[in-house]
Amino acid sequence: MSKTVGIDLGTTFSLIAFVDPATSAPRCIPGPYGETLCPSVVSLDADGTVIAGEPARRRLLTQPERTIYSVKRLMGRGVEDVRDELKIFPFRIDPESRSVIRVRLGEKYFTPPEISAFILRELKSWAEEFFKDTVDRAVITVPAYFNDAQRQATKDAGRLAGLEVLRLVNEPTAAALAYGLHKQKRGRVAVYDFGGGTFDISILKLISTTEGDIYQVLSTNGDTHLGGDDIDNALAAVARAEIEQKFTIDFAKHPEAVQELRKTLIHAKHQLSSAERATIRFALPDDRIYTREITRAEFDKLIEPIIARTMAPVKMALADAKLQPSDMDEVVMVGGSTRIPLVRKTVGDYFGRAPHCELNPDEVVALGAAVQANILESGVKDMLLLDVTPLSLGIETMGGVVAKLIPRNSTIPASAQELFTTGVDNQTGIDIHILQGERELARDCRSLSRFQLKMPPGPAGLARVEVKFLIDANGILQVSAKDLRTGEQSSLEVQPSYGLTDTEMERMLEESIEFAEQDFQQRQLIEARNEAETILHATEKTLAREESQALATEERAKIDAAVKLLREAAAGTDYKLVRKRTDELNQATMHLAELAMNKALQAAVGGRKLDEV
Amino acid sequence: MNATKTQTGTPSAAACWSCHAAAEGTHFCKACGKIQPLGRDVDYFAFFGLPRKLKIDEADLEQRFHQLSWKLHPDNFVAAPEYERNLALERSSELNDAYRTLRDPILRVEYLLLRAGVRKEGTTKQQAPPELLEEVFELNESLDELREAKADGGDLTELRARLTDAEKNFQEKLDEVDAELQNVFGEWDAAVDADADGVAQRAVMAKLNEVLNRRSYIRNLVRNVGVELEQG
Repeated sequence: MSKTVGIDLGTTFSLIAFVDPATSAPRCIPGPYGETLCPSVVSLDADGTVIAGEPARRRLLTQPERTIYSVKRLMGRGVEDVRDELKIFPFRIDPESRSVIRVRLGEKYFTPPEISAFILRELKSWAEEFFKDTVDRAVITVPAYFNDAQRQATKDAGRLAGLEVLRLVNEPTAAALAYGLHKQKRGRVAVYDFGGGTFDISILKLISTTEGDIYQVLSTNGDTHLGGDDIDNALAAVARAEIEQKFTIDFAKHPEAVQELRKTLIHAKHQLSSAERATIRFALPDDRIYTREITRAEFDKLIEPIIARTMAPVKMALADAKLQPSDMDEVVMVGGSTRIPLVRKTVGDYFGRAPHCELNPDEVVALGAAVQANILESGVKDMLLLDVTPLSLGIETMGGVVAKLIPRNSTIPASAQELFTTGVDNQTGIDIHILQGERELARDCRSLSRFQLKMPPGPAGLARVEVKFLIDANGILQVSAKDLRTGEQSSLEVQPSYGLTDTEMERMLEESIEFAEQDFQQRQLIEARNEAETILHATEKTLAREESQALATEERAKIDAAVKLLREAAAGTDYKLVRKRTDELNQATMHLAELAMNKALQAAVGGRKLDEV
Repeated sequence: MNATKTQTGTPSAAACWSCHAAAEGTHFCKACGKIQPLGRDVDYFAFFGLPRKLKIDEADLEQRFHQLSWKLHPDNFVAAPEYERNLALERSSELNDAYRTLRDPILRVEYLLLRAGVRKEGTTKQQAPPELLEEVFELNESLDELREAKADGGDLTELRARLTDAEKNFQEKLDEVDAELQNVFGEWDAAVDADADGVAQRAVMAKLNEVLNRRSYIRNLVRNVGVELEQG
């Protein structure tokens, strides 16, 4: 039976986890390098092959123009949204991009969901290798503050990776789930989730009921463009200014040097989480060396404004939950950036209690996703997540003012109905503009969609069409319309303002079959390797026994050669060759197997040869 | 965002869609246990099995919300056929909408009045209650002066003090009107308990509506003064 997994699709790293039936506890699945963290980096090889994860990360240094990182920042966004980010991130955006951004890798263009799908495929292959089985259903986590378009883009990425997305779960909620299970704590919990590119704060209530535990989110807030990336960029700005002052170098001409410097600075940042000082040593393309020491105090001063930006959402989330900082029973830290001492201190001071840092802040979200995947998969329910929508939903009314229909922090699923009627005789349509956000004016909110609602012809005011806005358990909006006079559902053509259209999605799914072919080959390879392992193991065992002494030297050499060839083949990626070598070893060991069989029979029937029986 | 084109079931069917047993307006069919479509115009009070009273025990409401969440949440229907999945989505969104409305006393009374047709959405009367006319007039004058002084860079200290006093004054009035509203909640609940006739119920509703309008007006005043004082 195929397996269901939980995936944390992160800005910097992604992880995949499952609930181990043996222990009933969630755990992360390691990749081929033994690491559970998969770098969220994708690279397009010159031959058209797509590489994701650790090998792609290495290519950031060697082939930066064919490689992309932090693509999560582009999910569900339009070109004008990312203009500021382009100054800092080396994204090569197609100037022709319309509602969906297209990014160039080498000679090809990809949308952010397609790039994310490559990361998901990589993780999927880790799990398939681990289970020796197909993985086609997943729970994927998203930042709690993701809007509709960002969520839809994530869901699209899952589909493109050949995964049925059972549910999108908010990252801090997933973390709370893993935490609550681990600690068996009840009460009010604040989850401060500061990751690579996004910041979330969620206030939850953990309640025990007779049916089981409820994890109810009371409020959430955040910033989908605030994270460790910003700290790296702040460090880079300082270092680049110093380097450009001391040496003459045009970084624009050396994208690989930019990446090398970034890597060096991230290393220094990590060191400063435990050490009081770190040394930055960077070799320029012409081998001159830039070196400087940075102290914790200098670092803290540099990042203080970035950390301060996380506190406004924290205050708003508490206000929305009608709670004070001291009302919290626990504060849980999630995300790699919460390793920074100043972050822990700032949060600890604000809540007046030491935050919980004992869970691995990198893994906890994936673990929670695995728990939710297991709940949905097994149907065994002793836990229930009640999450909220982070942003108010509304429609544009006269004068560009937004009429709020579903307020932020409403428990999802949530819905609202709006009745529309015609203003003039034989009016055939009404323009509807759906928005998300807290501001009064439509132009300050996020446009989700504009569409025309078809009205049945007739005198003004006679037609009555009810539009239902429903936010599902994924936080994604569904729109439907009903003619109240006939009771008929009317069809709606709702095109997203920022997102893939149905036609684009279809085309990409077709293209993804090509990658599915790669997946198929990957699976064949896994199976062939398994088979090879089995026969290699059996051969070795038999060779170690006394009956193998009866083999002629020449025969023994043949077997050893076949073993060697199979080992070599299994280390490669050609599954057909692995199968061929397996067959050859099978042939070579026929006599040996016969010897072993005779020996076993002798023991059973008393000394006659196999053909005499 | 998704556009849904799926057909939802016939509203308020007289029989269960699955086993055709007589429907009784419950969340699940009493005969076969299948989730049922929402009847048209669900009453939020009835959704929770509560009488249409305005004084609600919040802890009890929360408990009912949690119990229904266990049963109606889409998590329970992941493996169910699409039709049932859609019903669960509809029912659970209605549950959450109902809880959001009833847990807040103001949204709760507004909902009651909207359903009875006593109040219309978005048409709160923005008329100053007669007994407040004089004070409102003074307040507006002070607000204008403050805005002018801000624009001219004049001295704000005295004006600010005056407005802070006014804010306090109106906040007290808001507390008073809230207490008054609580009393009328009691009147309404008594009328429900006594199974009072339509005319008597309408009278209490009209009273509720009047207090609500007054409250809305005063709350806006307090908010406006607050905004003006905050902005430098």
